[in-house]
Amino acid sequence: MDLVLQLLFTGIGIGAVYALVALGFVLIFRATNVVNFAQGEFSMVAAYIMVVCAVDLALPYWLSFIIALAGMAVVGLVFNLGVYYPLRHRTYLPVIIATIGASILMANGVLALYGPQPQVLPGWFETPGIQLGPVYLDSQYLLIIAVTVVLVIFNYWFFEHTMLGKKLQATSQDKEMASLLGISVSTMIMITFIYSAVLGGLAGLLVAPLLFVSIQMGSTIALKAFAATIIGGFGDVAGAIIGGLALGIIETFGAAYISVPYKDGFAFLVLVLFLVFRPQGIFGERVAEKA
Amino acid sequence: MALLEITDLNVRYGEIVALRGVSFAVEEGQVVTLLGANGAGKSTTLRAISGLAKPASGDILFDGKSIAGLGPEAIVRMGISHVPEGRRVFPGLTVKENIMLGGSNRRAAKAELGREADAMFDLFPDIRKFSGALGWTLSGGQLQMVAVARGLMAKPRLLLLDEPSLGLAPVIVQAVFRIISEIRRTTTVLLVEQNARMGLSVADQGYVLETGRIVLGGKPEDLWANEGIAAAYLGGHGKPAAGLAAH
Ligand SMILES: Nc1ncnc2c1ncn2[C@@H]1O[C@H](COP(=O)(O)OP(=O)(O)OP(=O)(O)O)[C@@H](O)[C@H]1O
Ligand SMILES: [Mg+2]
Repeated sequence: MDLVLQLLFTGIGIGAVYALVALGFVLIFRATNVVNFAQGEFSMVAAYIMVVCAVDLALPYWLSFIIALAGMAVVGLVFNLGVYYPLRHRTYLPVIIATIGASILMANGVLALYGPQPQVLPGWFETPGIQLGPVYLDSQYLLIIAVTVVLVIFNYWFFEHTMLGKKLQATSQDKEMASLLGISVSTMIMITFIYSAVLGGLAGLLVAPLLFVSIQMGSTIALKAFAATIIGGFGDVAGAIIGGLALGIIETFGAAYISVPYKDGFAFLVLVLFLVFRPQGIFGERVAEKA
Repeated sequence: MALLEITDLNVRYGEIVALRGVSFAVEEGQVVTLLGANGAGKSTTLRAISGLAKPASGDILFDGKSIAGLGPEAIVRMGISHVPEGRRVFPGLTVKENIMLGGSNRRAAKAELGREADAMFDLFPDIRKFSGALGWTLSGGQLQMVAVARGLMAKPRLLLLDEPSLGLAPVIVQAVFRIISEIRRTTTVLLVEQNARMGLSVADQGYVLETGRIVLGGKPEDLWANEGIAAAYLGGHGKPAAGLAAH
């Protein structure tokens, strides 16, 4: 029982990271009908900015965090202008290919600038964790869970209770109609890219202390997050979050009870099982999004 | 000076010429109805006015200023609101949210838009109780009411309505037209209809489009008075038009 609780805690922590990246996937998909294959690279680039600021330049951790997130907002903006905007009137295929190109560019750009050695990023807190009854709560996992909870609440408030959120939703449901109402569609899509890049970046900053910061971390995270969106039902915001958490938990339990080396394999096994037996995701596609 | 003045408008979709040399004017305070069969170019005319379709040549003057070639976001800010074919109510937003978004062309705070949307239900009492319902759950008539209410939230000087009666039961059509006759007290309306009898019943002026050209225009009573014309273009003797294809 103690082990189960411990694994649950760890699984939720890692799942929260997948959830953040998955949320970015889904928001961009809903706004542009395009799967952004560079979503994972947002996490990787943010982690490298963090390494440069917090480790190499020895800036305070919080300041480095803010710089990295601000940097990701700029990356999101440039990504929107460079990758999406010029192709916005084309079908989804050229845009998808452009996102793949951008992902290769980002990975190799960082490789060229920083070199291939994986880097170590310390966690935010000095204290490694606290013991709560039978469960050891690692401070970095606690941080991940806390930040994700705050973000999910913020996301809900933003999309459900602000006019900007409603305009973003309207844009993702019918761009032409949104433009007829005077909603600036290109601004809405730009905001979506910036927000998604910051979400992806945040996930990268949170997970980096648990892994090595490497060029490959982006593609690993992106694949997990993609699996999470499939589990949650592609295109569904709540589904992305729940799918991310579910994947984190499945993966952690799989590693503990079945096999550690195949830990990453569980995500893809689950992905394949869902694609075969329940392609509409846990909840099934909602009618609202089909209409 | 007319509120809207269209001169020699040509619109193409690639090789297809949808409008050829269309000219007409809408005077402030009037209701002008465009009639025509499927594919005649009615929707294209409205789309060119609201900026969804780019004119190949010709000019569109709104309040004396050329708006040809401007984007839809700029045009709705100038005071032209387009309620397009098919209603296009956002399926995943509530009725009230849909209506509130109609004010996106103005600088208005959320609370103000909410109050205005509530006030809009006085004109559309049938949809008041669906205020919190999502768009996709509504019937065709309810969707049309929401679409028109949303269009009015822009506080337009000119309202473009594309086939508001399409696919609606006769009683609902009458309710929609009652609303149009309410709207005309305050707003100039350019109405597109295939239902000639209903379309002309509220109009000051009517035009008939045929394969991208205006073939007829005049006051509704004059259009009806000409037996040949009425039979050919308007479905004859007060019957709803079946469309030109039947002719
Ligand atoms: N997006 C498009 N691409 C290509 N051709 C189009 C497009 N939209 C309309 N057309 C063509 O332009 C012409 C005019 O179409 P339009 O939609 O304006 O007609 P309409 O009078 O509104 O017809 P309906 O009563 O069916 O709505 C038709 O020949 C139509 O096939
Ligand atoms: Mg039409």
